[in-house]
Amino acid sequence: MQLHLEGSNAMNAPAARVYSLLTDPSFVAKTLPDAEDVHVLDGSSLEARIKLRIAVVSSALKMKLTIDRTSPPGRATLVAEGSGSGSHMKITSVFELTGDSSTTMRWSADAEITGVMAGMGSTLLKGFATKKVEEIFTGITTAVEAAA
Amino acid sequence: MERLFQSSVDEVTRLLGLAKPEVSVLEDADAAADELVVSEYEKYVERKFNPEVLAVLKRHDLMGVPVEEKYGGRGARQLVESLTLERLGQTGMGVITFADVHLCLGSLAIQDWGSDEQKERYLPAAAKGEAVFAYGLTEPEAGSDPASLRTSYVKDGSGYRLTGSKYLISNGSIATNLIAFARPADGKGITAFIVDTKKKGFSVDMRLEEKIGLFTSDTSLLTLDDVQVSKEDLLGVEGKGLSVAYSALINGRIGIGSGCLGVMEDCLNQVKERTTTRVQHGKEIARHQLIQKHVAFIESSLESCRWLDYRAAIKKDEYDKDRTDPVLRADADRLSAVAKYMSSRSAFESADRAVQCFGGFGYSIMSPVAKHFLDSRVARIYEGTDEIMELKIASSVLGREFEAYR
Repeated sequence: MQLHLEGSNAMNAPAARVYSLLTDPSFVAKTLPDAEDVHVLDGSSLEARIKLRIAVVSSALKMKLTIDRTSPPGRATLVAEGSGSGSHMKITSVFELTGDSSTTMRWSADAEITGVMAGMGSTLLKGFATKKVEEIFTGITTAVEAAA
Repeated sequence: MERLFQSSVDEVTRLLGLAKPEVSVLEDADAAADELVVSEYEKYVERKFNPEVLAVLKRHDLMGVPVEEKYGGRGARQLVESLTLERLGQTGMGVITFADVHLCLGSLAIQDWGSDEQKERYLPAAAKGEAVFAYGLTEPEAGSDPASLRTSYVKDGSGYRLTGSKYLISNGSIATNLIAFARPADGKGITAFIVDTKKKGFSVDMRLEEKIGLFTSDTSLLTLDDVQVSKEDLLGVEGKGLSVAYSALINGRIGIGSGCLGVMEDCLNQVKERTTTRVQHGKEIARHQLIQKHVAFIESSLESCRWLDYRAAIKKDEYDKDRTDPVLRADADRLSAVAKYMSSRSAFESADRAVQCFGGFGYSIMSPVAKHFLDSRVARIYEGTDEIMELKIASSVLGREFEAYR
């Protein structure tokens, strides 16, 4: 099952600084919600156990996140892939930064989900993902603005 | 807009015409339905009532869809209200039960039968979502035969006092007002009242949470123990309460039929996604012919019922323009029964087939289709059982002298 989400966020920080933070696995590690056993593997990847709670059901997926600085200083691709609790998930997200002293981040994410979670259907998972993405970006924005 | 709903809206616009403000109501319904997906799922899995439904419908200005604009509503005709409920029905019958009772059985009963003063007093609050209606016809000993209800009233100096039990009442514990039906303690003729649920003597005796489905909808057993009702809150004509009840049920049955269309649409969407992505025996299960048989059934049911429901709504709109015409009333009554009867049965069978297409996961309420299987079952019972609908439809053909329930 596939999901596509996209959006944009404003950050009160210079674009170059935002880029360096969001492509740094050590920084990204601090912004991941509901993450456990986070290990930065090298300068472009990390591993973590991500807990997902949908209604009364909790799942835990062991994910590897790889950051590809395809075209700095504005654009990067983050690929997160992993399995757990009968589901497999691969999320490819691309962000592009514009601005100078403050930054607009345009992003898109494509998720490929199989297993138990896929059975819940894209209508529902898109609803959950939208809520989760809001939570993630609130966390990222707060962390970036604090660090910038 | 959601794809299948968009096709309904496009088709209705092309054939019947929809004005801009009407499309705006439907866009709001579409947004509300999207917003309700997550909370309905979460609460369903927890088997809990979903308070978000009221909040979301308020936020999208959907609590007064059929209420006249001068009372703060959207002034939508039945056809637009039906389309609204069709879209909300995709989220499940829990949402429909709440909305149908509040809009079709409550708000419209007051709009159709209330005095100007009652309309001024109740409809603006209802349209804002500050007032929520429940409909108190069913009793422990009076289901399909409402004329046998036992709740009674006595007159006192300033109005009336009601005593009795109301059973299986949707929105019962959250309503601000109950449209209650009662007979005089010393005489014949049922009368409708608008009861303030905060009055002394009104109590929610039991929240009925042991249902086999419909978890996100509130269902209660209510007790009225000498509840005072002012004379201004008698609805319609004293002794003619069953006319109020039956007329409200015409609205309600069309609404339930509309909700069931939404159920079938969601089943079709979910089945399409599931069967085109799940691989068994080396190919997507949608490529197996026996799965295609289920897909064909759901699609055919949806298309068949869609126009039954729209036709009932159109007839109801004609009747609303001339409520003195007995032929129009009889036609609206018959077509609402046909729409509800066919749509609820088709929704239940479609949900059953959707569960089948989902296999083992479909048997879990974690799946998106199990709730439709559990919840659409009640649509074959409430607001007139399958059997009562059959008798009503048959007698509309054969003539009143053949009414089997007389």
